[in-house]
Amino acid sequence: MVSDVSMAVDLGGIKMKNPINTASGTFGNGWQFEGFYDVGQLGAITTKGCAAEPWDGNPAPRMCELPSGIMNSVGLQNPGVREFVRSYGDYLQGLEERGCRVICQVAGHSIEEYVRALELFEELAPFASGFEINISCPNVSRGGAAMGATPEAAAEVMAAVRPRTKRPIVVKMAPHDVAEIARALEAEGADALSLINTIPGMAIDVRTRRSKLSRPTAGVSGPAIHAIAVRMVWEAHKAVSIPLCGIGGVTSGEDAAEFILAGATAVSVGTQNLVDPTAAPRILGELTDWAASQGVSDINELIGAFEC
Amino acid sequence: MQPSSKVHLYDFEVASNDAVGEKVYRLVMRSPELASELRPGQFMNVAVPGDASHIVRLPFSFASTDPEAGTVELIYAVVGEGTRRLSEMPAGSTSTVVGPCGNGWDVKPGGRALAVAGGVGAPPVIAAARALAEAGREVDVVLGAQTKSRLWGEDDARALGAGEVVVTTDDGSYGMRGFTTQAMEALLARHEYDLVVTCGPAVMMAGVARLAEGAGVACQASLERMMTCGFGACSTCNVAMRAGGYKSCCMDGPVFDASEVAW
Repeated sequence: MVSDVSMAVDLGGIKMKNPINTASGTFGNGWQFEGFYDVGQLGAITTKGCAAEPWDGNPAPRMCELPSGIMNSVGLQNPGVREFVRSYGDYLQGLEERGCRVICQVAGHSIEEYVRALELFEELAPFASGFEINISCPNVSRGGAAMGATPEAAAEVMAAVRPRTKRPIVVKMAPHDVAEIARALEAEGADALSLINTIPGMAIDVRTRRSKLSRPTAGVSGPAIHAIAVRMVWEAHKAVSIPLCGIGGVTSGEDAAEFILAGATAVSVGTQNLVDPTAAPRILGELTDWAASQGVSDINELIGAFEC
Repeated sequence: MQPSSKVHLYDFEVASNDAVGEKVYRLVMRSPELASELRPGQFMNVAVPGDASHIVRLPFSFASTDPEAGTVELIYAVVGEGTRRLSEMPAGSTSTVVGPCGNGWDVKPGGRALAVAGGVGAPPVIAAARALAEAGREVDVVLGAQTKSRLWGEDDARALGAGEVVVTTDDGSYGMRGFTTQAMEALLARHEYDLVVTCGPAVMMAGVARLAEGAGVACQASLERMMTCGFGACSTCNVAMRAGGYKSCCMDGPVFDASEVAW
């Protein structure tokens, strides 16, 4: 595909050669996709959430299928920052050198844990172009979504992590009250916001009267939540001036284009990576074609260009 | 060392897809690269077309490959909507498959081996038994099914040159009435084994693992989990370990040392 449209975007200081990013937790740590395509062609990847110390995550089963989506309860299983960097640091450094920005997601159960994890990343991960603070995981008992549940709580986390790095901080937001929480995060110095995380849901096995997963509630993702995510990106776009990364049910260039029009600077491909492992570069091609078809010379002209 | 992935996305064409028992089907897919890469015990993640709202691939182990013909043989049971749609894929229809996924059986040469399969666990166990026989081992095979019409694998077990082939059915409609673990106990009393391989319902594999451990015989078990990607990207197919924590079914398995699994 040949296109004259400039696709480069700036996600709060993270200079991406195109708007396509990958949603944390749906892309391993990048290398898993190298057997499918050259990951270096993507604008960015966001690595699996990682805390200062290892987390086991939740018991099985962690996934069930839903109409046009899935529900997961992984619970941020991760090896801890040190082991993460030891295992994947060289690969991620190489990915940066190939022009794909690496955004490392930071997890914690408490403000102190977010700070500790970010300090370790800051020290051990010079390759990272930026960090995504996950204050919206619905699958952990402490921290997670509770840390981003109110503007006050979200602001408190942001205020604590901001002084720990000069690199860009993106905050991964929960799917509620996005305008208020986005304003609070912007006020505390967030460079960009990514939204939405999975939407809490339930699936009950009526025969056993138990949850189909190991916890009563879990996070819904996939095409089923796309329209909700587009609406929330639009609400955040109207509320703040920092850039946004749209996430939720992107399966095509058209889905990605909706996020751009609603106000997103970048777009993450999530669940679709898992079921269609070559989705991200295909979506990049389709998005580029769409931008060309809109008659612009720069994709940035289309950010927030939704007409209402 | 840099991590690397050898999992690819391939097209496949259905060469044949026929019922071979009650709700049991045999699908031969043509996918030359996959056929040459798959090793016994590995699996593949198949996109079944026909319902866009059903987005998750279905993971399948395989019974055999024919690298020269470029084909892979799947034996599967129709248990839900996805497998029902798969059973309706006619010869000549196409889709995509992710593979080869996971690690296969460790089939190095050695003493007498025992292969124990329950239900649709039979295909990977037959593949293991065949590889063990080709490695020069004596292999006995136990095949269990709910009932005769759901049984698959007896002819394949005999064709691979297995020593003893014992069939059990829960209802006694064929072979020995009872469970594979009862047949296994009888075989353990008669022969000296140095390896057991097993695949089937978790409760059966737990029993097989217990018997093997009691007899001091190494045991490899192929596990099944709800699975999304099949190549280590999503962390949804976790297996609890006896030593604590989890391993990934798709990356560390699906074949595990049964003594390490928290059954």
